[in-house]
Amino acid sequence: MSTQRPGRAAVTGIGVIAPNATRVDAYWKSLREGLGVLDRITREGCDHLPLRVAGEVRDFDAAALIEERFLVQTDRFSHFAMAAAALALDDAGLGSGDPADPYSIGVVTAAGSGGGEFGQRELQKLWGQGSKFVGPYQSIAWFYAASTGQISIRGGFKGPCGVVASDEAGGLDAVAHAARAVGRGTGAVVVGAAEAPLAPYSMVCQLGYPDLSTVEEPDRAYRPFTRAACGFVPAEGGAMLVVEDEAQARDRGTAVRAVVAGHAATFTGASRWEQSREGLARAIRGALDEAGCAPEEIDVVFADALGVPEADRAEALAIADALGAHGTRVPVTAPKTGIGRAYCGAPLLDIAAAVLAMEHGQVPPTPNVFDICHDLDLVMSRARPAELRTALVLSRGLMGSNAALVLRRGGDCAR
Amino acid sequence: MITTEVTLDELATLMKKAAGITVDPKELKQAADTPFASFGLDSLGLLGIVGELENRYSRPLPPDAERCKTPREFLDLVNNTLKAGA
Repeated sequence: MSTQRPGRAAVTGIGVIAPNATRVDAYWKSLREGLGVLDRITREGCDHLPLRVAGEVRDFDAAALIEERFLVQTDRFSHFAMAAAALALDDAGLGSGDPADPYSIGVVTAAGSGGGEFGQRELQKLWGQGSKFVGPYQSIAWFYAASTGQISIRGGFKGPCGVVASDEAGGLDAVAHAARAVGRGTGAVVVGAAEAPLAPYSMVCQLGYPDLSTVEEPDRAYRPFTRAACGFVPAEGGAMLVVEDEAQARDRGTAVRAVVAGHAATFTGASRWEQSREGLARAIRGALDEAGCAPEEIDVVFADALGVPEADRAEALAIADALGAHGTRVPVTAPKTGIGRAYCGAPLLDIAAAVLAMEHGQVPPTPNVFDICHDLDLVMSRARPAELRTALVLSRGLMGSNAALVLRRGGDCAR
Repeated sequence: MITTEVTLDELATLMKKAAGITVDPKELKQAADTPFASFGLDSLGLLGIVGELENRYSRPLPPDAERCKTPREFLDLVNNTLKAGA
């Protein structure tokens, strides 16, 4: 067994609620097959808006998964997060009953927009019927912190909690935040992000993003790294993880699925994609440094893959800047082209994909992308078998954040 | 003249509507002195019920309404207020 430092942060549980699956095994199968599920938006009240294509979570019955008293006081984004958290806790073997030591489990989520659908409904009551008709749960449901709060209440978790209110890259920052909490002595942290941006008010908020794809054909709307790149397609959903002290996980006999080895983040400003080259390269170098990882050790890169030409160019160059010659040889993938970008949930879905890829020894492909115009070894069309010990996950946000996270394979453990 | 008496049956319905809490009206009658918290109703949930009643009867309830601890205490306050204003 490799040398163990105290407080190493292990991924022991994964829960996914995504446009292509609401179970981890089905999620992997869909990614491996390179299935694209982007489709015309069908949510009520959205059909007049000039955003037509997205990754909708259609196979999700909140009432079957979450108690009604939580449902009435929460938005869809929290429903996703609570459901994914329960799946992750089950996967980690922490799902049943009250925690033995409530203070040993914390919760951290990232959120880019909060509960827009719930907020819209209550604001419509405010202006349509009057202030007396606004329900009291408006005071908590639409805030960025709602999912962290509700997951901690539902599970009885009293350990350190936090919320990263940020753009997409905040999803990686939340995992780093959880890993640091574990490093300081918290036994486990339920961490992740899920978003629900496909409702009228939320969609109108996104229409101002110049990076948004408004192409109406689902298989042509999101094709990063190609000459046809025309922006990104949004999605709903996300993933939650259990990040746990590695020694505690081994003591419990729980499989260590991966180790959170390093992270770094930088900020280069909203829509300044050319500058994101330097910011992302610095984040990659920082994450490698923290992980004690040489560039050549990276076996796969999960790209941010925004789909905006200058952003794609900046990312390809950042990978080359940070990884050197290895940057043009390492397999790069962006499975999110098949499901869309779920804002802060997107990098969590990529972490889940990276862990699954390492476990299965396969790099999943990049759906709908066939002909790239950058010097990258992008995995396309079909999954590529490979020995994957170390994965690099990249994320950039529309507001200017850049982040990188290094994951190591879990290693030998009964599972 | 419509009745202005809020019953335990109606309170059970309101708990479901405003706070998503399913409680058997019979059980609520037997446990009318049990704290709301033991049914899983938190302070925001009770505030929602107060708002529903204020809208239904088009009159304000006293500030103490949302601080009531038990179903009986709450209904006594609500019904006395409604009667006084009738």
